[in-house]
Amino acid sequence: MRRISAYFFSLILFIGASSLSAQDTVLFPLKLRAGIDIAGPGIYLSDKNNLNLEGYISFDRSEKMAWVMEAGYMNFKYSQYNYDYTSKGAFTRLGADINLLKPEVSQGRYWAGIGLRYGISLFNSETSRFQHENYWGSVTSSLPSKKAMGHFIEVAPGVKTEIFRNFSMGWTIRLKLLISGGGGKDLRPIWFPGYGNGGRRTTAGISYFLTWNIPYKIKTVISKPEPVEEETDESSEQTTGTGL
Amino acid sequence: MKKAGFSLFALVAAGFSLLLISCAPEACFEETNAYLKATFYSNTTKEKKTPDSLTVTGVGKTDKIYDREPSVQPALLPLDASNDTSEFIIRINGIADTIQFIYSSYPHLISKECGYTFYHRLDTFNTAKEIFYIYRSSNNITTANEENIRIFF
Repeated sequence: MRRISAYFFSLILFIGASSLSAQDTVLFPLKLRAGIDIAGPGIYLSDKNNLNLEGYISFDRSEKMAWVMEAGYMNFKYSQYNYDYTSKGAFTRLGADINLLKPEVSQGRYWAGIGLRYGISLFNSETSRFQHENYWGSVTSSLPSKKAMGHFIEVAPGVKTEIFRNFSMGWTIRLKLLISGGGGKDLRPIWFPGYGNGGRRTTAGISYFLTWNIPYKIKTVISKPEPVEEETDESSEQTTGTGL
Repeated sequence: MKKAGFSLFALVAAGFSLLLISCAPEACFEETNAYLKATFYSNTTKEKKTPDSLTVTGVGKTDKIYDREPSVQPALLPLDASNDTSEFIIRINGIADTIQFIYSSYPHLISKECGYTFYHRLDTFNTAKEIFYIYRSSNNITTANEENIRIFF
């Protein structure tokens, strides 16, 4: 009985040791990040009526997931033949980034994944002139400045890569779903900070971030290598088959 | 590992190129007028009936909205957003009456591309000679395809 127990214990140790030897250890740097968006100022250079400034901070919870807070300011002016519109205010988005890269690929330097955000926007919007024409003639009116609050959610896939030590850049596509734009069903905001076209239930945008990374902890991540498929010896199977 | 880094760098560069592509302004393809929609019915059968000839003119206007037009069903009557009443002379198959609509107007955003329009809430209506019987279906006069009144002739 004693001998059987010793054999059994040895077998467990052997299995444990062999599985440990099949694992890789990755020293993964968890980081704090602070970034600024250069897409907004870039667009402003070509369109002086649309200023969007935003930045973010994020905190790695693990090698796969980071908490994110983004904040920004927007000043939007738009005119066309039948109305003049302005909207300005601040917004914030809170959520998480999920890294889809394996730790041994990512190494804390590369990120390709998806972000999920809840956004809230506080803004003033004003339609200083609008014109409506029909059979009876033309009517010109205006809508005074009004404070409003908008809510939305975002799915944000993207990539980031380290270009210098602790500095990275990358882009994020923002797929946004409007929860509420403020203003009721008749006077939805034409455009509002953080979301964009308030007349649409869904919108898309892009951010291009320059990021400063601050490593705060090294985490040891044990990763299992991909199982190698054993080659099947088809010829031997065939031989066996023929033999039968 | 280097391959992954290079791929990501290429993706980052692709994103930057995407950023440089500017968006073209979009055109307005939506209905921008909120019409009062009047459907025609037979006074005898109470069934839907299209007039053989319809002429509609706004009181005080020289232009006609419909000029002896056949096959109009429903008629789309534009309301004056700068007033709370609009009057129309309606001639159906050669018989004419004047109908006055009393309503309130309020602005409504159609879209960024189209801008604003006025919606109306129908309060009441009157006919001068009471030749046509009018039934109210809905008070909300919007760009939606919703019947507002039925004219029995």
